Amino acid sequence: MFKTTLERQLNILDYALSSVWRRRLKNLSVMLVFAAAIFLLASFQMTTTALNQAASSMLAKAPEITVQRISAGRQASIPLAYGEKLKAIFGIRRIVPRIWGYHFVEPNRANYTVIGLDPAAMPSGKALGLTLAKGRFFTAGQKGKAVVGQGVVKTMNLADRRNFSLFRPDLTLKPFGISGVFAPGTNLLTDDLIVTTMADARDLFRIPAGMVTDFCVYVANPAEIQTIAGKIAKRLPDTRVLTRPQIQKTYQVVFGWRSGFGSVCLLTALAAFTIFAWDKASGLSPEERREISILKILGWETADVLTVRFWEGLLVSALAFAVGCTLAWIHVVKFGAALFRPVMMGWSVISTSLHLVPDLALADFLLIFAFTVLPYLAATIIPAWRAATVPADSAIR
Amino acid sequence: MLIELQDVTKIYNQGQANEVKALDRINLTIPSGSLMCLRGASGSGKSTLLAVIGCVFPPTSGRATIAGKLLSRLPDRFLTMHRRQFIGFIFQQFNILPELNVLDNVTLPLLPVGISPRERRKRGLRLLEQFAIAHRRNFAANQISGGELQRVAIARALINDPPIILADEPTAHLDTRLSEEFMKIISGLKEVGKTIVITSHDPLVTENSAVERIVDIRDGRLHA
Amino acid sequence: MFLNSWSLALTLCSAIVFILTAIAARTAVRVLRFWDPASDDTRQIGLESETWLASTLVEYGLGFQIISLVLFALAANHFCSFLTGAMCATGALKANAYGMPTLLIKLAGVFVYGFWIVLHRLDISSESYPLVRLKYGYLVLLLPLLVGDISLQSLYIAHLKPDIVTSCCAVVFSKTASDGHNLLGSFSQASVLQSFYGTATGLAALGLFLHKRWQASLAWLYAGAWAWFLGLSLVAVIAVFSSYIYAMPFHHCPFCILKPEYSYIGFALYGTLLPAAFFGMAGAMIDPLRHRPGLAASVPNFQKMALGVSLFLLVVFVTLTSYHLLLYRLLGGES
Repeated sequence: MFKTTLERQLNILDYALSSVWRRRLKNLSVMLVFAAAIFLLASFQMTTTALNQAASSMLAKAPEITVQRISAGRQASIPLAYGEKLKAIFGIRRIVPRIWGYHFVEPNRANYTVIGLDPAAMPSGKALGLTLAKGRFFTAGQKGKAVVGQGVVKTMNLADRRNFSLFRPDLTLKPFGISGVFAPGTNLLTDDLIVTTMADARDLFRIPAGMVTDFCVYVANPAEIQTIAGKIAKRLPDTRVLTRPQIQKTYQVVFGWRSGFGSVCLLTALAAFTIFAWDKASGLSPEERREISILKILGWETADVLTVRFWEGLLVSALAFAVGCTLAWIHVVKFGAALFRPVMMGWSVISTSLHLVPDLALADFLLIFAFTVLPYLAATIIPAWRAATVPADSAIR
Repeated sequence: MLIELQDVTKIYNQGQANEVKALDRINLTIPSGSLMCLRGASGSGKSTLLAVIGCVFPPTSGRATIAGKLLSRLPDRFLTMHRRQFIGFIFQQFNILPELNVLDNVTLPLLPVGISPRERRKRGLRLLEQFAIAHRRNFAANQISGGELQRVAIARALINDPPIILADEPTAHLDTRLSEEFMKIISGLKEVGKTIVITSHDPLVTENSAVERIVDIRDGRLHA
Repeated sequence: MFLNSWSLALTLCSAIVFILTAIAARTAVRVLRFWDPASDDTRQIGLESETWLASTLVEYGLGFQIISLVLFALAANHFCSFLTGAMCATGALKANAYGMPTLLIKLAGVFVYGFWIVLHRLDISSESYPLVRLKYGYLVLLLPLLVGDISLQSLYIAHLKPDIVTSCCAVVFSKTASDGHNLLGSFSQASVLQSFYGTATGLAALGLFLHKRWQASLAWLYAGAWAWFLGLSLVAVIAVFSSYIYAMPFHHCPFCILKPEYSYIGFALYGTLLPAAFFGMAGAMIDPLRHRPGLAASVPNFQKMALGVSLFLLVVFVTLTSYHLLLYRLLGGES
């Protein structure tokens, strides 16, 4: 019985394949429009996945806890002495103070991120040189040295130059010598970055002595992040304590929200396609009606014709799914999701050349499938039933 | 008796304004192995009678027993299963699917039954050889001649080896030569014990010596 | 948290299932009111034609409901990445009071749809369609279940707050948790394994006996044993087998086995257990119908098939669950 059932399904599938081929123009038009809808949704989904993964891998090396001081609801400089209070907390591996801020350059209208810290104090301080394409990292004692990102080199035309200057708040110029340039592979983090010593950053931003922007706190046991964060918050009540997991989740929520918003907009496209699919499936030509009535009179049951229609729908949607997802992959990986970048990543003079390569699992494909193929199959049920209930006697009238 | 109709009535759109009584108390018995011709003008009810005999739909009232099965209010599914097993149809314009090849057309009735491709091919080729058109098996149906099309239609009707063959105006679009060829094949089928009912008003059919009985139908009633 | 791709996909999927079933229920109401098999009028012919639509809609509904169930488990896994404290899908489902009930109602829906399809197949096997009224009455009762499904799911998604601290799977499923949600506190690994294999053996023996000689009372026992085994297997997967799959003694989550890093073995486990339980129970549940007109042959045929399928899937399930455990023991893990 099982063998007969299987043989029946295979026979009907065979017929469905030939039927799809015989009406290839109509099916091709449906398939192409469907593939376009899938392409849009899949691109969005893949872009979100890639950005989430990029953010996760980027944040993996971030400090477990960042401590900032809040005054009147806004971030303010934090006294260096607070670092001494943190040292007493058990479980903290290292505390790295840093001075950082944004520096706007009027001529090229670019916003650069300037960070001042002691490279040797970082957990992987000795390996920082590996991030450079050329040059070397400065030491804490060196004055007026900076390591810059590729975007900084490009926008300030530093290719052939070894020095550049930035304005202090009092419009005096602060000179910097380029000691190194970050490698292109680190662009996600370093494209707009200028890293210099704490003293130079303090000088540039005119931060008073004894103050820094925030502390990077490194924790020995990641499982203890929340506990230690709680202790810091208790000990320093005027600070904001950010944990790495929290930042990761925030990125994911933001990307998820943007993706969801984009999906809502694309749902209108999907709705339009579903109506189109319904319309195409409903339109039974006289030849199709005749074919079905012939099949019925030759001994095909209504259920058999419904099965043919099911396989036809599945074949067209499977093909559209494969084409749509493949094009989406190419769009995201080869063209950097060019269609959706402004929505997902915003706009700036220095737009990072982020190479998106989503690592997709079955779950991602099931998600795209649920958005696209399910509504299509649902839309074709009633037209399929209408086709399957064409009376057999119309073949002999 | 292979086909037995007692007071069979068929009403379309019963209970509605456009109600039509297509068959009115038909009584008819057709023994197995016989060849009967049903003659009537368009709208006389002959297609409806053929559909009842062919288990396409059951009668509204009366008893219709076809190949041992009482049809009264059988669900469509069982009518189809019965039809598949016991009835072979030859249509007025053959109703061959033009884009399928000859072999696929002939084996169409075998697909929903779960017959394997190899078995289907075997049965199909056997019939095509019997009707001398095996050499055209891979040709699309719209690429063969009218005579070959006729033989494909007959082969398809026989693929399930049904005891009853129903032919609806089979010679309406054929020339004299092909009509005579068709009747020759039909006589041959009668010789091997098939029960055949042909609807026609073509003298080449009605005056053929193989036809044992002619029944006239007018306004849904039989006239012997 | 509706503005999220997974939430939207879940809502869309559930909405489609609901709409399909609602259309089928409309036919069901018309059938219950007007069905007259002796009649040949236009309405009866139309109804007969509509019954094909209803059955197709329910069959699609079953397929979509299964996808909805899988999608829900995978969505929970996705949600855990921005729910503080949730390590995987379990934590995400425990984030509010609606997560687990949603999962359970979806699971129930799969069984309920499946049973309708069994009734339908039996009904159309008889010329007199003896189960029409039963079948369509049952279909109408499906709707409240689906309303419950979509409501619970919507409440779950609406009440997801990314910054709410929730329990993670290690907390919920560990033996040392003392917060009252500890399902496994009173079970030891040894007792769970003994029950599991003991029940599986009993099921196999009973099934083989029923195969030789069907008895209604024993069939009900078989169905009851399957219902017990379903719950027991889920406990066994959580309490014992999952930790061997993860190779981590304190990881007892029933959802992480659906992930690619564990070769999606969860799908194989649940994909055998749930159909096995379904077929194990369905045979007894249709036994009262064997005396209906025209079903004298089809009911026993289905029961035999269901028995065979449930036994086969039982063997596959037990093998799959035992594989990692045996591998660990044979390769010289602690005795």
